[in-house]
Amino acid sequence: MGATELLKLSKLNKWYDGLHALQDVSLTIGEGEVVALVGDNGAGKSTLVKIIAGAQTSDDGEISLRGEATTIGSPKDASNLGIAALHQSLGLVGSLNVFENIFLGREETRSIGPIKVLDKKKMRDRAIELLGELAIDVPRLGVPVLSMSGGQRQCVAISRLLLDQVNLILMDEPMAALGVAEGQKVLDLIVRLKDKGVSILIISHNLEHVFSIADRIAVLKNGRMIGTVSPKNVTRTDVVKMITTGENIESEGAAQ
Amino acid sequence: MSGSNTKVKTGVAGRADGTFSFEGLGLTVVLLGIIVIFSFINPRFFAVENFLNILTQAAPFIIMAVGMTFVITAAGIDLSVGSILALSSVIGFEFMSSGGNPVIGVAIILVVAVALGILNGALIAYLAIPPFIATLATMVSLRGLALLHSAGTMHFGLPESVAFLGQGKVLGLPMPVLIALLAALFGYWLLNFTKFGVYCRALGGNKEALRLTGVSVKRVELLVYGFMGLMVGLGGLVMIARIDSTQATIGTGSEIHVIAAVIIGGTSLFGGKGTVYGSVAGAILLSMVANALVIGGADFFWQLVVTGIIVLFAVLIGNLREGRVSMSKVPSFLKMKS
Repeated sequence: MGATELLKLSKLNKWYDGLHALQDVSLTIGEGEVVALVGDNGAGKSTLVKIIAGAQTSDDGEISLRGEATTIGSPKDASNLGIAALHQSLGLVGSLNVFENIFLGREETRSIGPIKVLDKKKMRDRAIELLGELAIDVPRLGVPVLSMSGGQRQCVAISRLLLDQVNLILMDEPMAALGVAEGQKVLDLIVRLKDKGVSILIISHNLEHVFSIADRIAVLKNGRMIGTVSPKNVTRTDVVKMITTGENIESEGAAQ
Repeated sequence: MSGSNTKVKTGVAGRADGTFSFEGLGLTVVLLGIIVIFSFINPRFFAVENFLNILTQAAPFIIMAVGMTFVITAAGIDLSVGSILALSSVIGFEFMSSGGNPVIGVAIILVVAVALGILNGALIAYLAIPPFIATLATMVSLRGLALLHSAGTMHFGLPESVAFLGQGKVLGLPMPVLIALLAALFGYWLLNFTKFGVYCRALGGNKEALRLTGVSVKRVELLVYGFMGLMVGLGGLVMIARIDSTQATIGTGSEIHVIAAVIIGGTSLFGGKGTVYGSVAGAILLSMVANALVIGGADFFWQLVVTGIIVLFAVLIGNLREGRVSMSKVPSFLKMKS
């Protein structure tokens, strides 16, 4: 890892009713670095992302941000640390419209005397701006997202992450529901975010996508960190071998 | 990053649920249709006095339906509204009829109802008891407490200032109608223009998504049922003020009436989507049908039969609209011939 350290996870453990889902998992993510997290189903990828996002807590281990030990006990804690998560389920409410989803939990309000009401105009304008950054069309801001396509919903979910100043964005299979063109737009967006200095931890089964955007690839198998490799130094076959056999091809950095 | 090539339509301004106009329009047309049909059948139906009478009778149910809209939108249900109404009203009424300060008496009714609503919310949010079971339990227990408090006792004699809330008129409009109108406007504003309204719809639409944003889901649930309690207290106050009496059995079965009004109005039983206007229209529709049956000389029990049938049709229409059933599965004898 060449970049300045942003987030460091040390020996994280997580149990689910006797199942050791994460076993001494360590990983370091640098400033402005794109790290891809790969592994078979049940490897612990989503669990690890949920712990960083504050949706779950680890049973053991340490987390530090820019060298300072920290705890992430809730999504609010993660948000306060500048960590935003795009979950597999997208975290959208189907019955809410586009800007209500984008601003859910962070609504803009205006005061009428002592009463606070939603500032819909402000939220609508900001939503248009955010969606503009993605350069993707959505039908109407006022319609429930349930009536939109999977790709459009993904765009709404990603635009939510850009609402606040973020240090690290966590993405769980962000291209899974997208067509080729929309998927490429998300990849382009990831590159743009990286250029702005935002770090990204992305889960993906698509190695073509992983190799096109990742600075490093971290491989998990059965809750264990097999190792992290640079896509410049390995082939897709090497990564597939790591995923299936649990054998480390090339270990780099301190995280393994 | 430029947004110059982005096409975003700004949608329906000011309507958070985006479906208000469709459902509101549909139900309004149904209401007008019923008025025309009933007026043809019996001209006595088509009179200003009769309409005000219908609205006055509907007022307590409109007020409670506003609260129930929030509960059902949040994917909950409250079966205990009748029992909360009974217990809060007998306690407050007894205080006032025995010479207590009317303002304090009204406050007692509202505070007791809110507290009981919050009790429901606490059972659901903190003890993870499903809303149906939690409120079924409180429905039975609170009715029991109301009966223990004043079984067989009919309370009479409210202070004039309180009775005015049910019997008085302002600018020719009955007070219950005015209070119901204010409650409906407040509910519409709360659901569509405040954070609480958004969280309420999010709670019913995707509880996990709301939790992931860091919003306290438990607190929202507590507030939803607390607000339901407040509306029950207010609805109960209007009800007892109108008849200037109460007893432990008051409000029995009113939960069905209130839930029916909300469902007829188009609020989704699966949560996430609610319309206060629809609930108000639903409550008026039920009272209008009951009124027409009374004028037509039908037995009271026919009201129950007709209410049940209306609810079934309302749910069927909702399921068709939301794609839960397709027209192909609807028996041909139920399909309208065009």
